[in-house]
Amino acid sequence: MFTKKITLILYAILFVGAVLFPQIEKDDYILHTAILSTIFVLLTMGLNLLVGFTGQLSLGHAAFFGVGAYVSAILTVTYGFNFWTAIFVAAIVSGAFGLCLGFPALKLKGPYLVMSTIGFVHIMHELFLNWYSVTRGAMGIVGIKFPPPIRLGSWSIDFSIPQNYFYLTLFWAVLGFIFLYTVIHSKIGRALMAIRENDIAAECLGINLTRYKLFAFCTGALFAGIAGSLYAHYISYISPDSFTLAESINILVMVIFGGMGTLMGPVIGAVAVTFLLENLRFLQEYRLIIYGILLMLIIIFAPGGLMGFIMKYVSARNSSKADLPQEGA
Amino acid sequence: MFFQHLFSGIVLGCIYTLFSLGLTLIYGILGLINFAHGELYMFGAFLAFYAALLFSANYFVSTVLATVGMVVLGFVIEKAVFRPLRGYHDTNIILSTIGLSIFLQNVGILIFGPDPVRFATTFADISLTFAGITVGLQRLIIVVVTVILIIALHFFSQKTRMGKAMRACSQDLTAARMMGINVNKVTAFTVMIGAGLVGIGGALVAPLYLVSPIMGIKACSKAFAVVILGGLGNVPGAIMGGFIVGIAESLTAGMVSSHLRDVVPFLVLVFALLLKPEGLFSKHIQEKV
Repeated sequence: MFTKKITLILYAILFVGAVLFPQIEKDDYILHTAILSTIFVLLTMGLNLLVGFTGQLSLGHAAFFGVGAYVSAILTVTYGFNFWTAIFVAAIVSGAFGLCLGFPALKLKGPYLVMSTIGFVHIMHELFLNWYSVTRGAMGIVGIKFPPPIRLGSWSIDFSIPQNYFYLTLFWAVLGFIFLYTVIHSKIGRALMAIRENDIAAECLGINLTRYKLFAFCTGALFAGIAGSLYAHYISYISPDSFTLAESINILVMVIFGGMGTLMGPVIGAVAVTFLLENLRFLQEYRLIIYGILLMLIIIFAPGGLMGFIMKYVSARNSSKADLPQEGA
Repeated sequence: MFFQHLFSGIVLGCIYTLFSLGLTLIYGILGLINFAHGELYMFGAFLAFYAALLFSANYFVSTVLATVGMVVLGFVIEKAVFRPLRGYHDTNIILSTIGLSIFLQNVGILIFGPDPVRFATTFADISLTFAGITVGLQRLIIVVVTVILIIALHFFSQKTRMGKAMRACSQDLTAARMMGINVNKVTAFTVMIGAGLVGIGGALVAPLYLVSPIMGIKACSKAFAVVILGGLGNVPGAIMGGFIVGIAESLTAGMVSSHLRDVVPFLVLVFALLLKPEGLFSKHIQEKV
C-alpha cells in the first residue's frame, strides 16, 4: 500500500506532467484529445463519487452532462450571458437535477436504480429533442462561443487557443480532484463508503442515508454540469445525440476501467479510454465490439480495474495485508 | 378512434409482453437483469428477415427458423456469459450484460449493416375492417401468436417437470438444488425460452417497422418499465404490465400528442418506482442486514 506521502508526491508529479503537457506536445489533434479527456475526467470523478464510493449504480450521467451543456449554451447563445455566469448556473441547475433524480432513487437499489436512471436519460433525451422553442430540437444549438479572454493589464489568456483551453479544463479537473480528495478523507467520505458496504447497517450506526445519498447525487451531477458547459463551449455545437444512454455507458466504462472506488482510478480510466478510442479509430466497426468484450472481461477477471490491478501488485510486493478496493462495490 | 387506438395498444402490449416475459423469467431464476435483451430482439427480427431472404421461405417458416436460431443463441449466451457470472455482485452482473449488449449490437451492425431494412411480407398490407376498426392482418397475427404463447407458457410451467423445476428455482435456487434439481439445466432452459420468446417478438414486429441494429435499445428500456410495473420476476405481472404500458402508450400517442409516445413508458416507470417499487402484483419483502 502506498503511504500518504508517496501518494501525494505521485499526484504532484502527475499534476506537473499535465501542466507541462501542452508545452511539450504541440500537435493539435493530440491536444484536442487531451482537452476531451480532461472533460471526461470531470465526468468520471462525479460518477465515481456516486458509483464507486456510495455504491449507487447510475447510468444517468449523460443526462446531467446534457443539462450542463444545454443550460450553458442556451444562456450564452440565446440570452447573451457571460461564459463565467453560464458555467456557474449550469453547475447549479445540473446539481438541482441531481437532487430530482436522487429523491426517487433513495428508495431504490441494484437493478431498480439502474433502470430508473436509464429512464431518466431517455426522458431528458426526449426533452432535448422535443422542446423545440428552447433546445432547437434535433438541429441542436450551433455557434457556441469560446469563453471570453481574461485580461489583466497587457497580459491576456485567449481561450480559443487549444493550449489555453486545456488549462481551463485542467483547472476545473484539478479543482474537482482536490474537492473529492477532501471529501473522501473526511467524515462524509467514510459515511458514503459505509453506505456502499451496507446501507442498512450504516443507517443503524446513525448515518443519515437521505442526506448522504442526496449529497452524492447532487455533487456527481454538479461535476457533470461543469463538464457539460466546458464541452459545449469547446465543441461549439451540441445536439441531443451527444447525451444518450451510450454516452452514460461510455463514462461508466471509463470509471470501471480505471477502478471504481479509488480516487486516481477514474482519472486514469478517462484519459486512457479517451486516447484508446481515438487510437482505435482505424479498427472502425470492430472498435465497439472490442469495447464490449473488454468490458465483460474486465468485470469477470479484474473487477478492481486498472487501479485494483496496480494495488494488488504493490501489496503483493510489500506482502502486507493491504486493503484492496472492494470488488464490485 | 378510441377503439382503433386501443387495438394498436393491445398489439404493442403483445410485443412488450413477449419481450418482458424473457426478461422477467431470467431475473426470477438467474437473478440477473439482462441488459442485452434488446439485442436478442434485434437478432430475432434480422434472423427472420434473412431466413426469408436467403431460403426464400414464407413468413411462418422464417419466423420458426428465427426462433430456433434465437434459442441456440440463448444457449450460447447462458453458457459463455451468464454462468461465469453466477454469485457475482449485482453491479458486476449488470455491467457485463451491458458489455454483452454493446458487443451484440455492434456485431449486428457489422453483419447486417448499419442501415435499416424493410421486411416485406405478402400480407403486410392486407387489412380487415369491422365495426369501424381497421385491423392489419400482421397485427392480428401478433395478437393471436402472443395469446397462444402465453397459454403454452402457462401449461408448460404448471404441468411439465421442467416447468415445475423452473418455478422451484425461482423460489429458492439453493433449496431447489438440494431437492436434486439440475440447476444448470434449468438456467440454460430459462435463457433459451427467454431468447426464443423475444426472438419471436422481433420476428413478428419486423414486417411492421423498419428492422435496424439499434432497434433493441429503446425497446429494452421500455421493457424495463413493463417488468418493474409488474414486479421483477413476476410472470403474470409482466403480462399485465406489458398490456398496461402498451395501451397507455398507444392511447397517449393517439389522443394527446405523438411526441409523448416515447415518454409514456418512462413516466410509468418513474411513477411505478415512486409509488410501488416492488411492482403492482408482488408483495414487498423487508430486507435484512
